[in-house]
Amino acid sequence: MSHRLLLTSLSPVAGSILTNGVVVAVVALLHIQIATYLTGSSTLATVSEAISMARHDERHGRLAHMMVKSQVYLFSTGSAVAILFVLFVLTGLWAIFWTALQQIAFWMLVFEATMFLSEIVLLYALYANWDRLRDNRRTRLALLVLLNISLWWQMFFIDVVASFMLTPNGGDVSILNQVLNPTQLPLTIHRTIGNIAWAGAVTAAIGAFNYLRLTRHSPEPQPDAPSSLRPLHSIGAMAAGHLETEARRAEILHWEWVTQWGVIWAVTLSLMQPWVGYSYAKDIQLHAYGAWYTLMFGDLSNVFLIQIFLLGMIFILASLFFWRRMVRSGAPHARRQLILMVVLILLTLLAVQPAWFAGSYADAIAAAGNHPWWDGGLLNPVGNFIPFKVAALIGMVIFGLWSVTAYATALSRGHIKPGGSSRGAQRAALMLGVTVSLMMMVMGVLREHSRQPYLVYGEITLHQQITNTNPSTPAVPPGQP
Amino acid sequence: MIISRWFTRPFKSRLRSGADWFEDRTGATELLHKGLYEAVPKKGGWAYALGSATLALILLQLFSGIFLLLDYVPSVSEAFNSLDYLRTSDGFGAWVRGLHLWGAYTLIFVIGLHMLRTFLSASYKRPRELNWVSGAVLFFLVLGLAITGAMLPWDQAAYWTTTVVTNIPHYIPFIGDGIRTLWRGGDFVGPITLTRTFAIHIWVLPFLLFSLIGAHLYLLRRHGEFGAWVNYDTDPDSDEEKQIGERIRRAEPPYPTKRIERRYAAPRETVPFFPNQLFKDVLLSTLLIAVIFVMGLISGAPLDGAADPATLNYVPTPEWFFLPLDQFLVVAPQNPLIAIGVFGVLGIGAALMLFLPFIDRSHERRPLRRPEVIIPALFMVFTVIFFAVLGINRLYNL
Repeated sequence: MSHRLLLTSLSPVAGSILTNGVVVAVVALLHIQIATYLTGSSTLATVSEAISMARHDERHGRLAHMMVKSQVYLFSTGSAVAILFVLFVLTGLWAIFWTALQQIAFWMLVFEATMFLSEIVLLYALYANWDRLRDNRRTRLALLVLLNISLWWQMFFIDVVASFMLTPNGGDVSILNQVLNPTQLPLTIHRTIGNIAWAGAVTAAIGAFNYLRLTRHSPEPQPDAPSSLRPLHSIGAMAAGHLETEARRAEILHWEWVTQWGVIWAVTLSLMQPWVGYSYAKDIQLHAYGAWYTLMFGDLSNVFLIQIFLLGMIFILASLFFWRRMVRSGAPHARRQLILMVVLILLTLLAVQPAWFAGSYADAIAAAGNHPWWDGGLLNPVGNFIPFKVAALIGMVIFGLWSVTAYATALSRGHIKPGGSSRGAQRAALMLGVTVSLMMMVMGVLREHSRQPYLVYGEITLHQQITNTNPSTPAVPPGQP
Repeated sequence: MIISRWFTRPFKSRLRSGADWFEDRTGATELLHKGLYEAVPKKGGWAYALGSATLALILLQLFSGIFLLLDYVPSVSEAFNSLDYLRTSDGFGAWVRGLHLWGAYTLIFVIGLHMLRTFLSASYKRPRELNWVSGAVLFFLVLGLAITGAMLPWDQAAYWTTTVVTNIPHYIPFIGDGIRTLWRGGDFVGPITLTRTFAIHIWVLPFLLFSLIGAHLYLLRRHGEFGAWVNYDTDPDSDEEKQIGERIRRAEPPYPTKRIERRYAAPRETVPFFPNQLFKDVLLSTLLIAVIFVMGLISGAPLDGAADPATLNYVPTPEWFFLPLDQFLVVAPQNPLIAIGVFGVLGIGAALMLFLPFIDRSHERRPLRRPEVIIPALFMVFTVIFFAVLGINRLYNL
């Protein structure tokens, strides 16, 4: 009897790779959405509280409080999902792989789990004592900073494990090599920025949702109303048939401001992601070529195009939001925002052209045209397929930066009037939140699937067999990057 | 008679008459007084000390460089041996070499901070545009000195750095190959390359550097230290125009600054340069130099094996301050984008930095009210730091 028990405990729970993979995907993607929000929003809550203290601005204080409350509500759910993920999904369905990984990355996982303790203490201390610490805001800020540090380190340790799975550096399992494996730092920077951008997008979406809810039964503000009167008067007009209270008006203004705050953070941080993501991909190319090939040229290349499309949509939706806000406020150079949005749409279309449409290096070779266009060839001015997309990405960054800078300048000059938002602008912000969420899911799918047929690249296969062999590299056309 | 009378005079009187004679001919006391007792803004003195620290570190480089010249032989056959001798047989010489290296590292870091401070406080705006331009050129000259200095030891690192760096001009269209040949003294790196790089390092660049330092200091004295916006705030409870008028009326030279918005013509409160600001300047400079002395002693300056052009497996690694550029070249795909990256993106970046005062013409001085320059600049700073981090990561995983 004991023998049978032992045998049972050593075998993974039965299931196919497909079903087990689907379970992992569902649980992991849910877990990632929550965990990244917690990490990013703790940074934004800290910033917001610091600004509130420095400027004696109650709006920022209220926003920080909202974020802390949302973290408490999500922390419990997120922790439960994490436990489900580790205890049941990984231990049950992927036991051999998980045991091997535990042995390799034992200390990283211990440190990661330890961070939960400090987070629980700090988060619940903040939640329970937020109002009590009203007169001692430095303590409140210090607790927020500590919470931020804890969450960041937790992300760092789990990034060590995640990046090691993709670039295990020939299986060298020393702690230093795990920590400094080739893709660890790019991934950590990518996630640090992405988390804040995601939290900003969630904040914008919450703000937009509340704004739309509060103005649901009201007509939109009239664009032809005098600009000096439009903001508050238009909100007053929105309350058709209702006696609008000052409190409600203040609420609308607050959520409008929250949306704007979130959009600016989301898009500004996202602007850095093409650089960071591209560098991350470059390190994958240098150290896990097969995975990189799968992403760029192989089975996942079309999924990667979805990723690029979603990135473009972030910039387009943000510039749409900025444009609508500037138009409604009568801000100078509003038309420039419209032009920037059109340019961003064109750049996104340029970047998402699939190989069969844009032509690849292999196509150019087949047509005996693998030399530059000025030499009568088929290659575009800046090289072949990949540089073509890189140029489009660089363009997105430059014009996206222009867009957010133009809006921030208008804001700092007092050209954006509170209360002047349209419901369309708020819908764009809501869409921005959805887009960023989708993008994170696609990114998770891309990274996890690029390793296939390995779980730990070149070391453990999808069938949980430990190989310790170098992965084969797919054939690549000559001259391909 | 005259001589005996001079000898019989009291010592103090003789000293005074000697000093008067010197003052009469040079005006030194007046110059010293003018230099020491000028007004500077009261708030933010520690941040302004970065400028003086930069000057102190440049002087340290000058003196430690002179000491190194006593031993260093600028020839491909002897350059490495002369430095190897310092390492193995001359402890003081090795220490001085360490000072020179760590002094250069610290200088680049401090000059970067100084520029960042100037940028954030908008001190480059009218009428101080040329202060910024001369400072930016000084920064580029210091980088030039650093890279040419890294080529001189003629060890493996220096040889391959020389090979890579002298090849960079090749990417310039039309004239690139000519510049490369001129610098190398032929198609390949060789003895003339070292001689020319040495001449650039100890004569050409220092001449330009010290000329520009003179101009930079002159302009600083002419317009006065701007400081930061905090020195120009007004009390919201009383008449702003009256406060500014009162400030300008009792301002000491070099304030009120000419050709500037009235609000920024004179700081709210000033202190004399001596002793207030000079104390901070000296303390910061001394601390930095002390750190450099210790690092020079503990860590010294590395020296690889002698240069061997026949090596096939040596991977050259750049100095830390060129890591962002190096990483940028790594991620730039294919030759056309390398050329665009080196001379397009960096050229545009350098031009934007150089001509910043002529691009940002607004009157705003507070960082949060200048998002049109602060956001792109922060983006660039982030990119540089990010590439540096990735560069370190890449070198570790080579």
